[in-house]
Amino acid sequence: MSRLHELTLPVVPSQIRELRVGDMVSLTGAVTVSIGIATHQRMAEAVRGGIPLPVDLRGGAFLHLSTYVREVGDVREPLYLNPTTSTRYSAWMPDIVRGLGPRFVGGKGGLDEASATALRACGCVYLSFLGGGSPLLSRALRAVRSSHWNEYISQFRLLTLDVQALGPATVAIDVHGGNAYDSLRARAQARMPGILEGLRGARGAG
Amino acid sequence: MPIDSATIKAVTAALYERSLKAIPADTRAVLARAGERETDPTARRTFRLMLDSADTAAREGQLVCSDIGLPTYSVKVGTRVRFNGPVRQAIQDGFAELAATMNPPILKMVTHPLTHERSHAGKDVPIVSFDLIDDVDYVDIVCAPKAMGTGRWEAMEAFVYPTVEDVERYVLDVVLRAGSQPCLPIVVGVGIGGTFDHAARLAKEAVLRPHGEPQPDALLAGMEQRLLDAINQMGFGAMGTGGDCSAMAVNVAYSASHGFVPVAVCFNCWINRRTAARIHGDGRVETLYG
Repeated sequence: MSRLHELTLPVVPSQIRELRVGDMVSLTGAVTVSIGIATHQRMAEAVRGGIPLPVDLRGGAFLHLSTYVREVGDVREPLYLNPTTSTRYSAWMPDIVRGLGPRFVGGKGGLDEASATALRACGCVYLSFLGGGSPLLSRALRAVRSSHWNEYISQFRLLTLDVQALGPATVAIDVHGGNAYDSLRARAQARMPGILEGLRGARGAG
Repeated sequence: MPIDSATIKAVTAALYERSLKAIPADTRAVLARAGERETDPTARRTFRLMLDSADTAAREGQLVCSDIGLPTYSVKVGTRVRFNGPVRQAIQDGFAELAATMNPPILKMVTHPLTHERSHAGKDVPIVSFDLIDDVDYVDIVCAPKAMGTGRWEAMEAFVYPTVEDVERYVLDVVLRAGSQPCLPIVVGVGIGGTFDHAARLAKEAVLRPHGEPQPDALLAGMEQRLLDAINQMGFGAMGTGGDCSAMAVNVAYSASHGFVPVAVCFNCWINRRTAARIHGDGRVETLYG
């Protein structure tokens, strides 16, 4: 049976090892978000070049959450956020995970095998947030802690937010080899011969 | 009495805003039923969250999804209608005004396909298709914003003298390829026949069909039920983390074809954004759905 883990960031490895695919998680503290491809490229290049980033992700969360920040003068107010499809960032996630040490990544739809391998090796889990869950997820927003690479549009910036109980999100890739996406795809593929046989039978019956 | 541009502008902008801040009532009912029948505990909880999210958005005027997609409109013009000003421009103006003034403000999602530069505006945006309805004096407008979550998995293939089995197998292949990636459960639209461009349009019209609207063609009705059962046996489930319901509906449409038969498959995600209105020749505006 799945459990809800209410976690405050940063976390330690033992807390990550407690998480299993299907568990629910809510996060409190500082989470860093971006949905920019250029942002991911730049992060991965910084890792490869040994260039420090303006934010420290160690023990924290780096999430594919699209965020609107209203700016009035010097005041930045986060209005809402919502997950986006993570797989388009797969090319850069292994470097980001290995080089920057987040304990949580997430968005929706999972990541590729190379990224999942990096997650397991580094003690990091992938969280699935509810797509179309903006009204619920946005309740967690408290403040913008920092905003870097502001030459990008709002949702592409390297944005660190203070959140209170962000979630619930579902653990979809854990550090024990559990990967909901891989296992569901394999199960669906294994079911296909039977599904196609059933279709043939239904056509015959119809 | 002609339909003026101001009405077109106001109605199309309102359709877009409404599509972002609520889910269609029929879709909510389907999700609620799916949640009640669901046997996977994670998926059951996900269905509850979906309904809570949609209801909160509607109650508080929030966006259900922050990705407001690419605005698309399908406009069907009655041949007895008269206009006293531009139509396409009115739709563009309505979207531009909404993008500048909406509360909450919207993210820039309109993307140049090659430079990836983002904006609230772009070439040919909103995407508008036009068609005619003979001998009526109204205009039907459907707004269906489209985002990447489902859009990137849609597909089309040209077959030569396909069997029903070939077509059904292809639809399942496309759904399997998408797997957990779209925000499940999806609505699947299938367009069969016509030409390349027409099959895509058939699929799009099919995906927008209201739930429960009867399929009068027995051959297609059989395909729809079989494919829905088959997709829901795959097990991807709500938000793709496993469960009984991966699709809410499969809607199939066809047009006569040639030896070659294009088959197009498109998806809407669980929030199933679609709103529609009818503008009558006398100026009355009627909500059709959404």
